[in-house]
Amino acid sequence: MPDISLEKVLFSYPGGVEVYPEPGLTLALESGVTALVGENGAGKTTLTKLLIGLLRPRSGDINVAGLDVSKTTVAAMAKTVGYTFQNPDDQLFERTVKAEVTFGPRVLKRPPADVERGVAAAIKACGLAGKEDVHPHDLGLSERKWVAIASALASEPSVVVLDEPTLGQDYPSRQRLRELVMRLGSEGKIVLVVTHDMDFVGEACPTTVVLSHGAVRYAGPTSNAFGDRALLKEAGIEPPHVTELAQAIGLRQCVNEAEFLATWRR
Amino acid sequence: MIEPAVVFEDVGYAYQEAPREAVSDINLRIGAGEWVGVTGPTNAGKSTLCLLAMGLAPHFFGGKLRGKVTVLGTESRAIKVIERSTDVGLLFQNPFTQISGARERVHEEVAFGPECHGVAPAEIEARVGEAMDLVGISALAARHPLDLSGGQLQRLALASLLAMRPKVLLLDEPTSQLDPAGTAAIFEVLSGLHQSGITIVMVEHRLETLCELCPRIVAMVTGRILADGAPQEVFNREVVQERVGLPVYTRLARSAALPAPRPVRLSESAKAFRTPIA
Repeated sequence: MPDISLEKVLFSYPGGVEVYPEPGLTLALESGVTALVGENGAGKTTLTKLLIGLLRPRSGDINVAGLDVSKTTVAAMAKTVGYTFQNPDDQLFERTVKAEVTFGPRVLKRPPADVERGVAAAIKACGLAGKEDVHPHDLGLSERKWVAIASALASEPSVVVLDEPTLGQDYPSRQRLRELVMRLGSEGKIVLVVTHDMDFVGEACPTTVVLSHGAVRYAGPTSNAFGDRALLKEAGIEPPHVTELAQAIGLRQCVNEAEFLATWRR
Repeated sequence: MIEPAVVFEDVGYAYQEAPREAVSDINLRIGAGEWVGVTGPTNAGKSTLCLLAMGLAPHFFGGKLRGKVTVLGTESRAIKVIERSTDVGLLFQNPFTQISGARERVHEEVAFGPECHGVAPAEIEARVGEAMDLVGISALAARHPLDLSGGQLQRLALASLLAMRPKVLLLDEPTSQLDPAGTAAIFEVLSGLHQSGITIVMVEHRLETLCELCPRIVAMVTGRILADGAPQEVFNREVVQERVGLPVYTRLARSAALPAPRPVRLSESAKAFRTPIA
């Protein structure tokens, strides 16, 4: 049984058109790191909000890590799913970084020892050590983004959803993010990364789902997605820079730098 | 010498109640019509540089300014931001902070700037139509700004600036919310504006993009300018490699031990990787 499944999900915003065309969105995800890519308005963020019950489908079934989302409150979903919004300012409200990161596990009534462990690990993993007492709004946008990610991780959820995590991030930050999602994936968590950053997808996400106009156009290994020119064109996706370079010099398909170097040296 | 559009002379600036300066010892001369890319890690002072050029620092943010920031011949201390905004437009990092919140339709939001400056109605109408068309939001004209997606909002914010017909554009990550197609479209708009002689200062993290677009790059670290020059020159400097990072192509060339100067763009990179090492 897949860890996340959506079955014929139909949804529209009030007064808006159908986000997912008939017969609805059907998708199954296993544990590990999956990238969710596609053009603006493809239905990516809507999908993530459906997964946590923040939006409710008109019809269809959604199961996340054994929970039937339709029968679960948003608050109860938060025990299982750590979620970060695209805009960290939609999410942050406490007066210090520490309080913000502690909020989740605290309201979930986790035992104090678990709260402490989760918060400490999240702060460390997100490079926020030494900034525990800073007001989140005194931090730059990219650091606020990290506070939002730490808040999602602090309750040690089995599902982690990151909406545009690389936005505004510098290179060291992107490396940290890459290490973080790969570690979460190797721990058997379900990590879903919504992104336009294809370099990051190639480096950090072994599986890719391509959405286009609300329909799943591809779900499978990332390397195959970037090898399919027709698919990329249709979904408005540009391959990673390294893939373009490999093509330009006639090397076989590569999606990340390590692959490129290994192939080129051969 | 091209007439300078933006000049920083020994500039240091600390935000109100901040223990230290956000930028220090900034000396920068940007000629009219230049397209300069600004990059650097978090807290490098890139956004502060934009706020200083706009005059929001110190007029709006308070704080302490040392040295002189001169834009289009007027020092920032001597001009109010509202007057500055006739000629200079700043696109904020987060487009949500840009929109007025006072208008209920996209086209009204685009008209907000010119209206505040008392531009004649017929002229406003022409400018609004042109600006919306240019950034591709004409179809959204009747929508409420707050109903737009992040990408659409970013286009709206840019249209609002263009309706002012600015001479200098300060862009803080102008395509951060856009997909590749939207990004390409906006960069095409910017290329057109650049060709028409508008000065552009653009903060951007995607180094590959910067190298393709900007003839000049300013790399900043912890509030100071680390390097300033042509992309290949900047990204071949050891100190930039260590503290700012490299475009994918340059990093690959380095990992593969290709000889310097290493490529910063796809075309040069393909050539370098095809050439057998002697």
